Amino acid sequence: MNTLLLLALLASPAHGQQPDLAARLARRGAPPDFAQAVSQLAAEARAGGLPVEPLADKAFEGLAKGYAPDRILPVVQALVARLREGREAVVSAKLPHPPGALVAAAAEALGRGIGRAEIVEILQAAPTPTDAAVGLTVAASLAAQGIVPDDATRAVTDAYRHGHSSEDVLELPSVTSNWFAEGVGMPEVLKRIRSGGGLSFPPGLNRGTGAPPGDFPGKGPPINPPGKNKNPHHP
Amino acid sequence: MTEPRAFSSDGQRYLDGEPTETLAPAERASADRLTRAVTAYAANLRAPDARLDRVVMRRVLAEAGPTHGGAWRWLLAPRMVRVRPAVLAIAAAAVLLLWWVSARPAAAPLVPATAARVPDTVLVRFELSAPDAHEVSLAGSFNRWEAPGIPLRRSSVPGLWTVTVPLAVGEQQYLFLVDGNRWIPDPTAHAQVDDGFGRRNSVIVVGPRGVARS
Repeated sequence: MNTLLLLALLASPAHGQQPDLAARLARRGAPPDFAQAVSQLAAEARAGGLPVEPLADKAFEGLAKGYAPDRILPVVQALVARLREGREAVVSAKLPHPPGALVAAAAEALGRGIGRAEIVEILQAAPTPTDAAVGLTVAASLAAQGIVPDDATRAVTDAYRHGHSSEDVLELPSVTSNWFAEGVGMPEVLKRIRSGGGLSFPPGLNRGTGAPPGDFPGKGPPINPPGKNKNPHHP
Repeated sequence: MTEPRAFSSDGQRYLDGEPTETLAPAERASADRLTRAVTAYAANLRAPDARLDRVVMRRVLAEAGPTHGGAWRWLLAPRMVRVRPAVLAIAAAAVLLLWWVSARPAAAPLVPATAARVPDTVLVRFELSAPDAHEVSLAGSFNRWEAPGIPLRRSSVPGLWTVTVPLAVGEQQYLFLVDGNRWIPDPTAHAQVDDGFGRRNSVIVVGPRGVARS
């Protein structure tokens, strides 16, 4: 009797789905049908080796912004497709079981115009998959700032190949933003990026308590009001 | 001759070999008879054969079954097991719980999924000039788009709203929410990107030393 009960529970259709996600969506005010549909999408994504949290976040974002469920669902479905494409790109770089953060970063990069070949290039230049995820995120951010994807990719791969750390690479978008704020035009920004100008320090020196690229306080966590950070390393 | 069913306290002391002067003659005679009978019985007792232990153990082992393959036979032999139904139900629940724990996904870290980062947190200050606003808040990947989100406070500069938030190193997408119904991008962000819904999200990449913005 108990065995039958156990087997019945194991065979329950709820198994393998995302009751947790459905509940979280419901708490955000999602209608049950929509929560169930997203949960089902997430379960299928997980089965395909894709990270689930980007899908949950996109659904949360849509709900927070007040979009109707039938407007949100296609966006989540499109994200599943992009995550799948991102995973394929990563796997093609001989990473058969990529971590979710790396797949998510690759998908985000694809969405901002970074091509598959460039993704593979960053994966090959980065010392670890974690660094590769950071590199992809930075390249995607540079691309969003208007840097040509090829240059954005090269800025990241050159940094890693010259021994810079992910901490250094993460400074690139702030440095580029400073250049734009100072009125530097895109041609000059591209020139600086191509010559490694976003990384003002030799590898290994641009970390810890050393002088950062921005005008940050020397002690404690930096607080950065807009318009206050001027790059002292601007030539 | 019928012996008494019980002896008096004097009779019990007499049987134990203690001297007593007040024991009734009839009870003394009865005690003497019993003592003689016990002595006679004990005289006929013989010590057990020295091989008794071996004989008994051989028989016990023979009834328990052969020792070769004993564990395997023990496992396969049909047995009657008594189990309380409640115990069986608890065991089934435990198995189910173990299965569920192993099958469910690992708890997701409370970090935005779009951000790949080294583990670090940095304080970042956000500002928005909104002179006509009654309330301003901040929501984004860092709080999983939980609206209304993190409230900004009026600064000493008229019309300026500010808040300082600890953010994980990496990329963050966000927007300001004005008066609970208007989503406003941050003009000082590193970039504005398509949110998938036809609008734009603000993007910053938080480095280990903070964020420099325009």
